[in-house]
Amino acid sequence: MMHTVSSYEMGFDEHLKVVKNRIVPLGADEDSQDLPRICVITGIHGDELEGQFACYEVARRVGEHPEHLTGIVDIYPALNPLGIGTISRGIPQFDLDMNRVFPGHNGASPYESIAADIINDIKGATICLDIHASNIYLRELPQIRINEITAEKLVPWAMEANVDFVWVHANATVLKGTLAYSLNALDTPTLVVEMGVGMRITEEYGLQLADGIMNLMKIAGIWSGPVNPVRKPIVSTDGEVGFLNADQAGLFMPAAYHDANVRKGQVVGRILDPATGSCLQEMRSPSDGLLFTLREYPIVYPGSLIARVLSKNSQAPIADGATFDNSCSPEEGR
Amino acid sequence: MLEKTVFSTPLPYRDNLEVKAFLFGMDDQGCKLGDELGIGDIKGFEKAICVVGGIRGDEVQQTFICANLVHKLRRIEERGNLVPNKLIAVVPCVNTASMNIRKRFWVGDNTDVNRMMPGYDKGETTQRIAAGVFEEGQGFSYGVHLSSYYLEGNYLPHARIMVGVGLQDNHGADFGLPYVLRHVPGSFDTTTLHYNWRLWDTEAYTLYTMETKTLDYEAADLMDRALLRFMNNRGIIDYPGHGGFLSTEFSEQALVPVQAGCGGFFRPLVKLGDIVAGGDVIAQVMDPLRGEVKESITAPNGGVIFFECRTPLVYEDTLAFQIVPRSVNKLDADEVRGNFLDPEA
Repeated sequence: MMHTVSSYEMGFDEHLKVVKNRIVPLGADEDSQDLPRICVITGIHGDELEGQFACYEVARRVGEHPEHLTGIVDIYPALNPLGIGTISRGIPQFDLDMNRVFPGHNGASPYESIAADIINDIKGATICLDIHASNIYLRELPQIRINEITAEKLVPWAMEANVDFVWVHANATVLKGTLAYSLNALDTPTLVVEMGVGMRITEEYGLQLADGIMNLMKIAGIWSGPVNPVRKPIVSTDGEVGFLNADQAGLFMPAAYHDANVRKGQVVGRILDPATGSCLQEMRSPSDGLLFTLREYPIVYPGSLIARVLSKNSQAPIADGATFDNSCSPEEGR
Repeated sequence: MLEKTVFSTPLPYRDNLEVKAFLFGMDDQGCKLGDELGIGDIKGFEKAICVVGGIRGDEVQQTFICANLVHKLRRIEERGNLVPNKLIAVVPCVNTASMNIRKRFWVGDNTDVNRMMPGYDKGETTQRIAAGVFEEGQGFSYGVHLSSYYLEGNYLPHARIMVGVGLQDNHGADFGLPYVLRHVPGSFDTTTLHYNWRLWDTEAYTLYTMETKTLDYEAADLMDRALLRFMNNRGIIDYPGHGGFLSTEFSEQALVPVQAGCGGFFRPLVKLGDIVAGGDVIAQVMDPLRGEVKESITAPNGGVIFFECRTPLVYEDTLAFQIVPRSVNKLDADEVRGNFLDPEA
């Protein structure tokens, strides 16, 4: 059933609403506090649409076999509804990144109030996925990014989400305004998924992630039906990721395939000058490894990120003793 | 005056971005930078103050203030009123590429240069710009940034300092502006120029003026006088002017937010700087199709209107005003962040 998570009156005869679809087991109470719960969240950035299809696919699979549902599925398809509707990454009017206003609070702007409403609605879930789609500039392999301070708790979940890569990154203070940081700080495990590219849908990735979400639901006790086998992702830390940035302004043309293994020194693309027909810069891989990020938008500036390469030998071990914590205590509430 | 390019980068199908600094200084013999003294002589000067204007492309007023400051300093320099061996740097505009197309953030990827400090010279474009600016501005005794607020509205002119990070020295009253506001930084602030200046031992201030995208000549003049007053009070120039305001200093926690309770046309009934009493009707929200008053917004308590929303249409919960209570106490605790997201977002 559709629910309104947050609603604020706009200027003209309209409400700005954040909605969710709550799917509960047959015969269960919509407000049950005792069932495990998964939150599938997307659309904080209005130009990232890959999560739309993943949400659809999860809702479709659950809807086709409600008899297998043993917990609650909450689908939040558009946390920044105006951004999605206006093809705007940030919050229209302010050009403000909504993923920097969490946990939000009352007393400033409607969006901070909305952020607070969202946090209140999600907190206490068994597991959450916040699905992003890079941006319009870069294409990403399906991956989960985890702040190192929450790695021990989240990596076991991420290993079961059917992504190709789990990136455990350094703690950056600026990330404290994100939805994932805020929820994890409230002891609500939240995985940040990055996959595909902005303003587009990669069906293959959506299906892959939907398999992973169904698998997480099974582990969390939310789904009793069959699930597809999931792949074992590479787990890596910052030190194993090499960056390639442009030093010239011009037209970027890739010379390697995304999601392919490259050799150190291999040309992964060139920056060209369309007017003179000259090559301004050859972009070479810094190491042997997996080309997991590749420039999609062809116009580049000096500094523009062209590619990221995951070093071939990276495979960080999972922390000893790390286990799932899929308990859903009544005290945590909704 | 010496003109120096502190950062340069090519742009696709456009002229290069050139971030320019204007340097003022005079030695004991009265020799001036740009005249008898060249770039190689700068190392003999004490880095006194660096003023940075428009980092965002819509900060036209902030850039205008700095351009006027360059002009006024030129005259002060000609008259020999610079204090010997003190270096003054002014960077009027960091983001001319965005300013030329009236875009707030970076032309290429819409990122915010003032969220990239202290920068990284091998990183993404805006990190490189930030690194170039920060390197130029590092090591000064005082750093002043003219910034703007992300919401559509105006503040009373004031100086803002971040407390609890790095250098804690505070001579904000030397600007002679009506208010000095103490801001407890949040995570969002850690990549701003102000925060990083403080972290690296520069006594930093952010100045807020009226307007951003349009010019307010009177407000600009007030801010230029404040900058020169500060330089004079801190012994950087010898150019005494009038004393300005006896500043009221307070923690941002003391600001009282007043929000719209519904959406519609916003009709303020007071203006910035007005003194209101608790219960006064200070704005109305009108039905945008029928014209009737949907809400009369009242002041929750007495004080001075410090921030005023400037948008004609408001949403429910839009920040309509902030009021400085009349009884604001300079000694209010700074431990807790204020009641709005971030002044520089």
